[in-house]
Amino acid sequence: MDRRLALLLAETFGERLLTPVRQRYDETEIRIALADATDVLRVVHDDPALRFSMLIDLCGVDTGEEMHVVYHLSSSLSGDWLRIIVAGLDRTAPRIASATFLWPGAEWMERETYDMFGIIFEGNRDLRRIYMPDDYRSFPLRKDFYLADDASRSPAAGVRNMERVGTPADATAATLLRKSPGA
Amino acid sequence: MAGQMRPSLDDPRVAIPADSSWYEPAPTPKTERQAEFLTLREGEMFVNMGPQHPSTHGVLRVIIKVNGEKVVDLDPVLGYLHRGVEKLCENADYHQAICYTDPLEYVSSLFCEAAPVAAFEKLMDVDVPRRAQYIRVLTMELNRIASHTLFQGWMALDLGGITPILWSFIERDEIVDMLAALTGQKLLYNYYRIGGVNGDLNHEFMSRLGTWMSRAAAQIDSNLALINENEIFVRRTRGLGVLDAKTALKMGVTGPNLRASGVPFDLRRDRPYLVYPELEFDVPTRDEGDSLARYLVRMDEIKQSIRIIDQVLHEMPDGPVMAKLPRLLRPRPGRAFGAVEGPRGVYGTYAISDGSDQPFRMRIHDPSFVHLQLVGPLTKGNLIADTMAVMASLDPVMGGVDK
Amino acid sequence: MVWNRLTPAGRALAVLLPILAIGGAATTLLLATFGGVIVATIGANLPIVRFLAASVITFLISVPVAFLLIYMEMKIIALMNLRIGPDRIGPAGAVMSVVHGLKVLMKEDYTPPSVDVPVFTLAPVVVYLASFMTLLVIPFAPELTSMGFELGLLYFFAIGGLGVVGLMMAGWSSFNKYSLLGGIRAAAQAISYEIPLTLSVVGIVILTGTLSLPKIVAAQDGSFLDWFIFRQPLAAIIFFIAITAEANRTPFDNTEADQEIVAGFATEYSGMRFGFFFFAEYVNVFIVSALFSAVFLGGSNPPIHIDLHPQILVDLGALGIGLPLIAGLAPVVGTLLFAAPLWFASTRIKGWQALVGGFLIFGGLSTAAVGIWAFVMLPPVASLIWFLIKTFTLVFTFVWMRGTLPRARIDQLMGFAWKWLLPASLLNIFATAAAVLVAGR
Repeated sequence: MDRRLALLLAETFGERLLTPVRQRYDETEIRIALADATDVLRVVHDDPALRFSMLIDLCGVDTGEEMHVVYHLSSSLSGDWLRIIVAGLDRTAPRIASATFLWPGAEWMERETYDMFGIIFEGNRDLRRIYMPDDYRSFPLRKDFYLADDASRSPAAGVRNMERVGTPADATAATLLRKSPGA
Repeated sequence: MAGQMRPSLDDPRVAIPADSSWYEPAPTPKTERQAEFLTLREGEMFVNMGPQHPSTHGVLRVIIKVNGEKVVDLDPVLGYLHRGVEKLCENADYHQAICYTDPLEYVSSLFCEAAPVAAFEKLMDVDVPRRAQYIRVLTMELNRIASHTLFQGWMALDLGGITPILWSFIERDEIVDMLAALTGQKLLYNYYRIGGVNGDLNHEFMSRLGTWMSRAAAQIDSNLALINENEIFVRRTRGLGVLDAKTALKMGVTGPNLRASGVPFDLRRDRPYLVYPELEFDVPTRDEGDSLARYLVRMDEIKQSIRIIDQVLHEMPDGPVMAKLPRLLRPRPGRAFGAVEGPRGVYGTYAISDGSDQPFRMRIHDPSFVHLQLVGPLTKGNLIADTMAVMASLDPVMGGVDK
Repeated sequence: MVWNRLTPAGRALAVLLPILAIGGAATTLLLATFGGVIVATIGANLPIVRFLAASVITFLISVPVAFLLIYMEMKIIALMNLRIGPDRIGPAGAVMSVVHGLKVLMKEDYTPPSVDVPVFTLAPVVVYLASFMTLLVIPFAPELTSMGFELGLLYFFAIGGLGVVGLMMAGWSSFNKYSLLGGIRAAAQAISYEIPLTLSVVGIVILTGTLSLPKIVAAQDGSFLDWFIFRQPLAAIIFFIAITAEANRTPFDNTEADQEIVAGFATEYSGMRFGFFFFAEYVNVFIVSALFSAVFLGGSNPPIHIDLHPQILVDLGALGIGLPLIAGLAPVVGTLLFAAPLWFASTRIKGWQALVGGFLIFGGLSTAAVGIWAFVMLPPVASLIWFLIKTFTLVFTFVWMRGTLPRARIDQLMGFAWKWLLPASLLNIFATAAAVLVAGR
C-alpha cells in the first residue's frame, strides 16, 4: 500500500473523484462518474507518474439501482494495483465508452460484460454475445434474473421464468432479490 | 428426403433458393467485425473446427476462414462449457462459492480456489496461520508442475507427436495421486478454506512427495530431452506466432505467455502474497515471444517450482493450519480483489460483500479467456497446422474460458 | 422332426455334407471328362494363368500382412508410450487386429447425403487396388517373385502413384472441407515426393543397367558390402524419406493429420470402405519397406555367405513302411520323453499338465528342427526369411518413427522435397553417371 499513490490520485483527479481514494491491503480504489470514464482511463494509462498500463480485469456490477463497470489496473512503474469504479450507469439502458482504444484485450471482457449485464460499450467493434446463444434474450448476471432455486421467490411465484422476453427496460419493473447501493 | 440435405452455404456449386426452408439461414452479422469476418473474398472458404475436434482443448469451436491452407481470419465461438459460475456463487455462501470455482480450470484447480479464498480473506480480515501459508505454496507449486507437464504433452500432441503426452503424464499422475492423498480428490481438490487449509499434511503425502522429489528433476529433464532437441518440433514452433511485449501488455496477457515476450511480470514477486517474499526463486523470461519461447518459459518454471518446493519443505513451521473463524461468515460490506499467479497467468477474483453471508457479486477472471483472444491475431497469415501450434502454446483451458 | 432336435453344428453338417458330396462327385466327373482339355488350356495360356494366380495370391496375402502390421503398430507404440496395448484377444492380444477387421466389416457402411456416390464408392477400391497391385513385383526370393518382369521398378512407381488418384477421389467426392484439404494435401505431397523417389533409384539403374527388381537384387549378391545402401548412401537416404512421405507415415502424415483436418480424406468414410483405406495404409508400409530392402538392402541375399554345404539328406522314400510308423510313433515318444522330466520335476504338476507341456515342447522343437532344415537346405526359404527380416526391421523403423516424431508442417514438407531432395537426387545421378563414365561399372 502506497500513501503517495493515494495523494497523487487525489491531486490528479480532484473534483472528479466521487468518493475519497480508498486503500485497503494492496488495493487502491477510486470511484468516478460515467462522463469522466474515458478521460480518467486515458490519464492513468498515459500519465508518466502513474502508468497503469496493464488491464488485469474488467467487469460489470449490478447493484440493483444502477450499473457499475469496474477496471482493475496494474502499474508497470511501481507495481501498484488500482481499481476504478465507474458508477452511475442507467439500469434501463446502460452505456459506456469502450476501453478497447487503450487495451485491445478488453474486447472480449467487454463482450462478456455485455452478455451478462447488457451494458453497451460504445466503440467496441465486436459487441455481441460471447457465452450465451445469439438468440438469447436476457442478461443472466443482472439482479432481476432468477436462478431456478429462487424462482419461487420471483414475481411470478414459482413459475420458472428464468429467461424473460423483452428489453432491459422491461426488467426494471420486476422485483429484485438483493440490492446493495454501496457495492 | 430433401430435408436431410444441408450443403454448406459457401460452396460455389450450391445455388441457394431464397425461400427454401431446408438450408441453414445465412447468419446476419451483428457487428462490424462479424460482418467483416463473414465476407468471403475470391478463393476463401470457412472451415469449422470444433466443438468436437481432435485437437481443440476442450469444447472450443473455431471458425477459420482459409484461403487454401492459409488462415485468413479466425473467430472463436465460446460458451459450450458455460455454467454460470459467477451467478451460482452469488447464490451460495462464502464456503460454497469455493466449491463452485474449483471446477473452473480442471487442470490446475488449486489456483481457482486460491484466488477466491484470497479475496474472501481480505474481505474478512483473516490472518492465515503461517503453516497453512506454507502448505498453500507447496500445493500450488505442485499443481503448477502438474499443469506445465501436461502442457508439455499437449503441445507435442497438437504437433502430431503421440508419445510425449503419455510420458508427461508420469509426473502429473504422481502429483495428482499425491494431492489426492492429501485432499481426498484427484481433480477437484477443494482443499483451501477461508483462513487456512482443510487438514494438515499427512504421512502418505509426505512420503510420496519425498520419493518424487528425489527423482523429479532427472525425470523432467528426460521428458524435456524427448521434445526439446527434436528438429521438427523446434522448426514448427520457432518464429511462429510472435507476440511482442507491447502488444502483449495491450492485450492484457499475463503469466508465462507474457514472460515469454520479455516482460518479467510475476505476481509472486511483484505483488507478493502468502510467503512468497521469503522464498528464493527466479522469474524466467525470454525475449523471442514465439511459440517455442512460451513453451520453454513454462519448462523453466517447472525447475523454479521444484526449487520453491525444496525451500518450503525445509522451512515449513509447525502450528495450526486453520484460523479460528465462526461457522457462518458475514463479512462487513466492502470490496476485495484476490489474485494469484497461476500456471496460465493471473487468476483473479473480485468479490463484493453487502454484509450478508453470500457474496453480492463475485467476478472471476481467468487468464485463458484473455489469451484465447490472441489466437486470431497470432495465426493470421499462417497455415491451418499453425493454428494448433499457437493455440497449444497459449495453453488455454476451456473450463476456465467458459466459466 | 429330426431337424428340430439337431444342434446348430449338426444342422450345418446336415446341410454341408450333401453339398460337399455332390460337389465333389461333380468335380471329379468334370475333371475325368474334361481334365485333358483343362490342363492343355492352362499349359497354352501359362502367362495369363500365372498372372491370375499371382494376383489372387497377392490379394490374399495382403490382408494378413495388414493385420500383422496393425498389431505391430498397436503393440510397439503402446510399449513406447508406457501402455500395455492390446492384451485381451489371443496371446498378447495378437488377434486384436483381426477383430478390428471384422469390426469394420460389420459396421454400418454409411453414405452421407450429397456426396458424389459413384466416386465416393470407387475411391477406396482404387486406393486398395493400387497398393496391393504393387506387391506383384516384390521379389520375396529369386524363386518367389510373382511377376518378375523387366520394367518392375517402373511398374511399381506407376501403379503406386495411382493410389493418390484414389485419395483425391475420396477427398473430392466426400463433400467435406476436411476431406477436400486432405485430398489436395495428398495430391501435392505424393506428386512432390514421387520425383525424388524415382530419381533416387536412377543411380542404381545406371549401375545395374536394368529396371527389373530380381536383377537389381541379384546385382547385390555377395556380402553386405555389395548392398546399394553402401554404394549409394545418398540415394538410400532420399529414397527412405520419400517412401515415408509416399506411405503417408509420421512425420509426413499430413494427409490425415488428425489434429488439423480430423481424418483428412477419410473423414466421411465408415465401415469397410474406411477399412480399405486403413488396410491400404498398412499394406503400403509393408510394400515400401519391402522395396527398400530389395533395392538397397540386398533383398533376399544374406548379409554374409557362409558356405557350409551341409548334407542333411532326408530320403523319405527309402524308409518304406517305416515312414508311417515313425510319423505315428515320434509324437507319442517325443511327448512322453519331454513330459517325464516335467512330471518328475514337481509334485504340483499334474499328469495331464505334464503331457500337454511335453507335447508343446516336442512340437516346438520339431518345428524348429524342420525350420532350420528348411532354412539350410531350401534356398527359397532362406531367401524369404532374410527378405522378411530386412523388411520387418524397416517396418519397425516406421512404427518407431510414428511413436517418436511430431508432424512436419505441409509447407516445410513441400519445401524439403523441392529444395533439398530433388537437387540431392539429381546430384546423385550426376555423380553416379560420372563415376560410371570414368571407372566403368
